[in-house]
Amino acid sequence: MFFENPKFRALGVAALAAVAVVLPAARAEPPAATVVATTTVVADLVRQVGGDRVAVDCLMGAGIDPHSYRATPRDADRLARAKLVVASGLHLEGKLAELLSRLARRVPVTAVADTLPRDKLLPVADNLYDPHVWFDARLWSLCVPAVVDALTKLDPDGRAHYQARAAEFIARLEALDDRLRDRLATIPKQRRVLVTAHDAFRYFGRAYDVEVVGVQGTSTESEAGLADINRLVEMIVSRGIPAVFVETSVSERNVAALREGAQARGHAVAMGGQLYSDALGGPGSGAETLEEVLTANVETIHAGLTGKR
Amino acid sequence: MTAPIGIEPLLAISHNTLVVACGVAAVGFAAGVVGCFGVLRKRALVGDAAAHATLVGVALAFLATGRRDLPVLLVGGFISGLVALGVLVLLKRCSRTRDDAATAIVLSVSFGLGITLVSGITARGIPGGAGLEQFLLGHTAALTTADAMLLAAVSAAAVLLLVLSLKEATLVAFDSSFAAATGWPVVLIDYCLVMLVAVMVVAGLPAAGAVLVTALVVIPPVAARQWTDRVPTMLLLSGVFGVVSALCGVAVSAVVPRLATGPLVVLAAAFIFAVSFVVAPDRGWWARHRRER
Repeated sequence: MFFENPKFRALGVAALAAVAVVLPAARAEPPAATVVATTTVVADLVRQVGGDRVAVDCLMGAGIDPHSYRATPRDADRLARAKLVVASGLHLEGKLAELLSRLARRVPVTAVADTLPRDKLLPVADNLYDPHVWFDARLWSLCVPAVVDALTKLDPDGRAHYQARAAEFIARLEALDDRLRDRLATIPKQRRVLVTAHDAFRYFGRAYDVEVVGVQGTSTESEAGLADINRLVEMIVSRGIPAVFVETSVSERNVAALREGAQARGHAVAMGGQLYSDALGGPGSGAETLEEVLTANVETIHAGLTGKR
Repeated sequence: MTAPIGIEPLLAISHNTLVVACGVAAVGFAAGVVGCFGVLRKRALVGDAAAHATLVGVALAFLATGRRDLPVLLVGGFISGLVALGVLVLLKRCSRTRDDAATAIVLSVSFGLGITLVSGITARGIPGGAGLEQFLLGHTAALTTADAMLLAAVSAAAVLLLVLSLKEATLVAFDSSFAAATGWPVVLIDYCLVMLVAVMVVAGLPAAGAVLVTALVVIPPVAARQWTDRVPTMLLLSGVFGVVSALCGVAVSAVVPRLATGPLVVLAAAFIFAVSFVVAPDRGWWARHRRER
């Protein structure tokens, strides 16, 4: 019917031809989703520095665990079309590493945390470092210059714009850093212990003087054994820790088992609420930027460990 | 802020260890007992097909209810396991596909579907979706009392059903043509036995995960078969082997840090099998070796 009409067929052919001509042209155009960021945390960093001049496309949405994230063919396509790919680095995107290194031959790839001086990082094994650097606001601010460089290379005219925004962002992170430390310092030292499902908060602990214990290890990939659970229950009970916390992108089963173990020893442990770990909150969560997430986490921890809600 | 002493840890065994040990031991016993007829009927791999299919049901149950309660997920897993078994029967009846090929097809296709669903859920960050992949390898160490009680109840029911139908099951297992000739509903009994295996496969999911759970319904019965020709003895022995492997796995995982419990249980079962294979009287390798000389 429709396609059998020769007039429409001609129109269809013309339309197809037009698309074929326009598509490569559209690809050459600068703005539209030029930067692809791997995680929400990195996407936030690029947005803070880039502002309106940069369109950021984020590979892994809110609530996704980057340790176990595998790229789909569509992701590979999105990455290959990017003008710039910004990754977190330090093997956070474990399953993407190979794809990113292959991609680096054709598209500029910046892994922001890889630019940090090694002596500021926490080692987990030989030449392997804990990737969760964004929980230390001051440390994360050291990643900003790498983003400025990458964006300036892509868009030299925007240099002043990026530099101004970067300076502003760094200043905000530093002020936030002081605020968070002051807030946490009001929790008595002996109770300032953060028990969570996986070890994402070691930088946080170092920066803000909080003892951090994870059930699952630095990556969410390793499964907890009984010995790990028993050891933690012992610690929670003996130190009288009032609350344990769950993370948005990790299963809460282990934490539930911990609470039960402590309960059986006559020590009630509250569920301290959800912490944002490897991903920021979704739209409308009130925790869509790193600054909001850090503030929300610290408030959750403060409320849980002081028993005030 | 009164902190009552509570139940003092018995012989320094913590509450968590006790809960996990009880839950896994119950599953180990029932899986060992129920698995015997699967092995005797030469259906060992059928349980594996059901096991791999459970992942589909677990994922769909999560998508349908949006919750991650163990009973809900296990019911979902059970249903998809049954569907896979149904497909298996149909495939054998309505095509000329051979037994082993049909089983392999159902196993791999349903597992592929399950992995697709689970990875799709985790990749999309659907709230609460984290942790579904734990059904692949189990999350034994994180069992709570409620979980363990559920597993124990299911296990007890499965064993009870089997004991009640022991006469029928034995007859069908050893002389199905005689049973059919004397008017027993052989096919129905057969399906019930396979269904019981499916139940135990699902109950074993939290303990060993979809990939390893077959080991619980296959290895203890095969090991027990080495020692005896009598069905009741074999059932009991298989159940005991299941319990012993469960306890060994739990014990090792409670002592050595950073070792997951499920795979250890399977390794313990494999060890029992290896020992049985060598030293069992009459059927064991050593006994045969001596006879041949």
